[in-house]
Amino acid sequence: MLKLSEDGKRAVTIFISATIVFSTLAYVAVTPRPREQFFQIYVLGETRKVERYYPNNNPNILVGQVVRWHLGATNFMGSVQYVVIKVKLGNSTIKAPDDVKYVPSPAPLLLQFKRVLVNNETWEFPFVWVIREIGVNGGMVNPALLEINGVGVRNSQVGALKGYNFRVVFELWTFDLESESLVFGWRTGAERRVAWLQIWFNATSPAIR
Amino acid sequence: MAMLGLMAFFCAMPGLGLYASALGRGTEAIDEANVEFRRAIIAVREAEAVGASEDRLRILVEKLNSALWMIDRADGLLLQGDVAGASAQAERGIEISRKIVSDAVKLRDESIQSTHYGRIFTFGLVPVASLLVTAGAHFGWKWWRRREIDRTMRMEIRGAKEPEEES
Repeated sequence: MLKLSEDGKRAVTIFISATIVFSTLAYVAVTPRPREQFFQIYVLGETRKVERYYPNNNPNILVGQVVRWHLGATNFMGSVQYVVIKVKLGNSTIKAPDDVKYVPSPAPLLLQFKRVLVNNETWEFPFVWVIREIGVNGGMVNPALLEINGVGVRNSQVGALKGYNFRVVFELWTFDLESESLVFGWRTGAERRVAWLQIWFNATSPAIR
Repeated sequence: MAMLGLMAFFCAMPGLGLYASALGRGTEAIDEANVEFRRAIIAVREAEAVGASEDRLRILVEKLNSALWMIDRADGLLLQGDVAGASAQAERGIEISRKIVSDAVKLRDESIQSTHYGRIFTFGLVPVASLLVTAGAHFGWKWWRRREIDRTMRMEIRGAKEPEEES
């Protein structure tokens, strides 16, 4: 059996202790830290603040009146993500997206915006819309032609009594690697989450009111 | 009779059949562009998962966005009835997506290698750092001990002062 001097024993003890400490440090350095994974979605008013969502702060939108919002999404998923923001037009009776069952709103799709985002990237763009034509059928009013960011979109499905309580719904969809398809919301581990927003407005012209 | 009617219809409108086949080709091209785009995203995510550098990933993501824009444009052109334009845009989208896949595969392989070497280097430093600490502690201890012995050796015995002298 190898006999170690006092100095030798001390040196071996220090060496083993230092190896344990440095190995732990090396492991921590090469292992990525788990972080909470989520998306952020927001709509700002025309001043890029949480205010002035309607012209003159009046939610009764007239034909030809320009409404300016700023739509944004931030990727905090820790990886590259393919994001789609679906814009839908609803009324007070069409169901909103379901946060519990992760079901999107059945409201008809007006337009969708797509982008691939790197981690921590914020994607913000102006969302400018105008009601170009209004259809009136009895008491039901529907914005028949909308213009969103210069693109004309026809709507024949969604109407509201006297034009009250329409809503624009923004849903965040992402590309799911498991199913290789777009899904409403996103997956973090075994969990599923969704993000959506809505802004109410009335499409009433003075004649209808 | 019905067959005769159909034949007469297609003979009278030969352009309709051609348009339908062109429309089919346009739709196929867009579908293929979407498939290639999804492959490209998966390839980029794989490169990212093995630790690809952020700057190089950002370049690939910019290319992904331009492919996405082309596919969207192809969709728009098809809706407007410009089948040839839609097919051309979709083909460009396919080309870009395929290039992204090959770049991402290269980036993934390079990243695997550099991450592997990085780990070997980091864990290789552990015994070196431990040896340095051990040697430092050993020689530090010896130096401190020698200093303490020398200090003890240099000590002088001083006589206690008489209480009268103090007063």
